[in-house]
Amino acid sequence: MSDAPLVLGIESTCDETGVALVRGLDLLADVTASSMDDHARFGGIVPEVASRAHLEAFGPTLEAALEQAQVRLEDVDAVAVAAGPGLSGSLAVGVASAKALALGLGVPLHGVNHVIGHVAVDALVHGPFPETFLGLVVSGGHSSLLRVNDIATDVTELGQTLDDAAGEAFDKVGRLLGLPYPGGPHVDRAAADGDPAAFAFPRGLSRPKDLQRHPYDFSFSGLKTAVARVVEGFEDRGEQVPVADVAASFSEAVADVLVTKTLRACEINEIGTVVVGGGFSANSRLRSLAADRFADAGIELRIPPIRYCTDNGAMIAALGSAVVRAGLEASPMDFTIDSQMPLTQVVMGATESAA
Amino acid sequence: MSMDDHSAPNVVDLPDAEATRALGERLAVLLQPGDLVVLVGDLGAGKTTLTQGIGAGLGVRGQVASPTFIIARAHPSLGEGPDLVHVDAYRLGSLEEVDALDLDSSLEDSVTVVEWGEGLVEHLSEDWLEVRLERPRGGEGAADTRTAALLGHGPRWAGIALPS
Repeated sequence: MSDAPLVLGIESTCDETGVALVRGLDLLADVTASSMDDHARFGGIVPEVASRAHLEAFGPTLEAALEQAQVRLEDVDAVAVAAGPGLSGSLAVGVASAKALALGLGVPLHGVNHVIGHVAVDALVHGPFPETFLGLVVSGGHSSLLRVNDIATDVTELGQTLDDAAGEAFDKVGRLLGLPYPGGPHVDRAAADGDPAAFAFPRGLSRPKDLQRHPYDFSFSGLKTAVARVVEGFEDRGEQVPVADVAASFSEAVADVLVTKTLRACEINEIGTVVVGGGFSANSRLRSLAADRFADAGIELRIPPIRYCTDNGAMIAALGSAVVRAGLEASPMDFTIDSQMPLTQVVMGATESAA
Repeated sequence: MSMDDHSAPNVVDLPDAEATRALGERLAVLLQPGDLVVLVGDLGAGKTTLTQGIGAGLGVRGQVASPTFIIARAHPSLGEGPDLVHVDAYRLGSLEEVDALDLDSSLEDSVTVVEWGEGLVEHLSEDWLEVRLERPRGGEGAADTRTAALLGHGPRWAGIALPS
């Protein structure tokens, strides 16, 4: 792969600034800067703080990535950038930087889909993808099942969450349980000491009637409310909330419904491989339950290591590299960001996906 | 309470999620471009469900889901009506101007529905429709029942008959 094009990937959809360099399927460098601490100081996300942080972080992050990869900027053969979905102001910084670099270097620019990048990154870890597979992307903003025939040209969205994303439900339950932000890792840690069967929390859209209407969709809002009411019940009785048991039972419900519906989608579509990505795929119960049940079902499960599940430049460089390999045209230089980029659209511009 | 507040809120009983969605559809009939709707209520009170009904009533594109992560999501109209801008201030530190959200749709041409916006967004407009959603607390009451208290603020809502 040493003569494959060198692709620079830029990620700036939320509060991580990521720059990575990929040659073929080889990851040469992956550097991430986060503005999470700045937001914690403000007690929440401030879109303008995120944009400014990207602006300040971009130069040093790019320098560090080039240094790590031991390449010069002039060696770059193509630039890929996350064009959406995400926060508009944050996306704008990455896209403007990418355009400037591509124009300055005289190389093609590819605006790519951040969510599909969460799936694409796994090829850097576990090698080329099979002909058709399912992608399960679970994060703070997404819970989507994708059918991937070709990561660069043919992705369709089978289903998504109808209300809250899985990671979002974790953040909100974390707040209910009095755990620090972001809730995901804290609830996960608290769950380790709890009984997953202590509370029978609902599995959204899992009744026969719902499965018929929404075979591939998820719903975590009813679960979140059920947890809220259990917590309130303890508070109203003046009893201590059994944080570990609530966290464990809640985590079990989320993992169970994600794994069960994904397995069912594999059966219906006769698909033998699932790639899981997105920040929530760091969740330990999701990982262990998926490993057990996919093995029982004889379906291949691919989940990249945790550092590639969260937002990073590697996922964008990986998808950019796939787009370059597929021979797609560059995105036009005047493409604009799309904060709600549909998950069937892999790239910006004339070369839209076959979906 | 200012002079422009219109008496007591109209309280609507909502026996299940479908009723919450149906109330959203009834509200959509009243909503015009430029309107601001502020949704108040705890986690799980039905704010997103009500917004799904408003979206269905307005006839807009895309799945109306929780916008917590991306903070705001614009749903273009599929017909002649206004677009829906669905904002979630849950993760926002402050909101000086809606412009800071950098939305694609212009607010003058859209219906803007804000979750978790109480005390943050009322200064953005002299008129707004407040919808206060409540669900049973703890183990009391059926899982799906809600109540909605509707109250118009400002001249825009004077004399408008809200659902009851």
